[in-house]
Amino acid sequence: MLNLGIDNLWVVNLFGTEIWITRTMLNTWIIMLVLIVLAVIVRIKLRSFREIPTGFQNAVESVIEIFENFVDNTLGEKLRYLGPWFFTVFAFILFSNLSGVFGLRPPTADWGTTFAFALATFILIQIVGIRYRKMDYLKNFFYPNPIFFPLNLIGELARPISLSFRLFGNVLAGMIMMTLIYSLTPKLVQIGLPVFLHAYFDLFSGALQTYIFCMLSLMFVKGASE
Amino acid sequence: MHESLAFLLAMAHFAAAIALSNGIFTTFGQGKIVSTAIESMARQPEAADSIRGAMFVGLAMAETSGIYGLLIAIIMLFANPLVNIFIQNMG
Repeated sequence: MLNLGIDNLWVVNLFGTEIWITRTMLNTWIIMLVLIVLAVIVRIKLRSFREIPTGFQNAVESVIEIFENFVDNTLGEKLRYLGPWFFTVFAFILFSNLSGVFGLRPPTADWGTTFAFALATFILIQIVGIRYRKMDYLKNFFYPNPIFFPLNLIGELARPISLSFRLFGNVLAGMIMMTLIYSLTPKLVQIGLPVFLHAYFDLFSGALQTYIFCMLSLMFVKGASE
Repeated sequence: MHESLAFLLAMAHFAAAIALSNGIFTTFGQGKIVSTAIESMARQPEAADSIRGAMFVGLAMAETSGIYGLLIAIIMLFANPLVNIFIQNMG
């Protein structure tokens, strides 16, 4: 009745190794499919885009412009080329947080998914830091005194963990609340109440956590570059 | 064996409750962030947008410890490693 875990749907045997297809993976593929279809539709419509936008073009352009401004304001001109990557992350996390509304188990309620994104941010921080500040960045680990190296290292390694746990914990908490409401309350309560709870836990909290994940990633990358 | 397993489970639930009690301080901190942000928004309404952005990031930062407590509580309740070790050892 009360199912909070991640189900294992199939086990695929590939060259003697078992690959478990979990619910998280299936839902990730569904969201990827939705995003790819959206992208293909935009690409096809791109040919008929005009100087003066109307309808669909307006929506696409406003989304892109808002995100471009957001990235420009936080990252600056120098790191502008990282914008598309963060837009991809933003779109995926937003769609997976919102998928709770449609009854899917959000893929971000699995630590594996959020840690993958946080690890990507961590690698990006190191690459940007070494590329723009060379030795100066590595010297930062020994900053006041070489004795502080272990502390600085722990501080650096704590970043992806705190970043991933923040998103994971928020989405998981929302999912647990919704599962409890659906499985433990009488049917009469479930008529109107879940709408407001979905609006808070999935729409508001999901969108806010997506924004915060991207904002913090951008701030870390920006901090590493200067 | 059943008595000690029951004791272990009860303790795990106590631990979950204690881990969640750090929400008190998290909420105090978040309340302070929001009250200060509203104060400065009232003083400078033209800077409201940038204050709001900083406020949300600050709220997320302050929420981290609360989320850690929640995760520890969830691990204690649903994925407690001690219970499995106990069951294995006791047969």
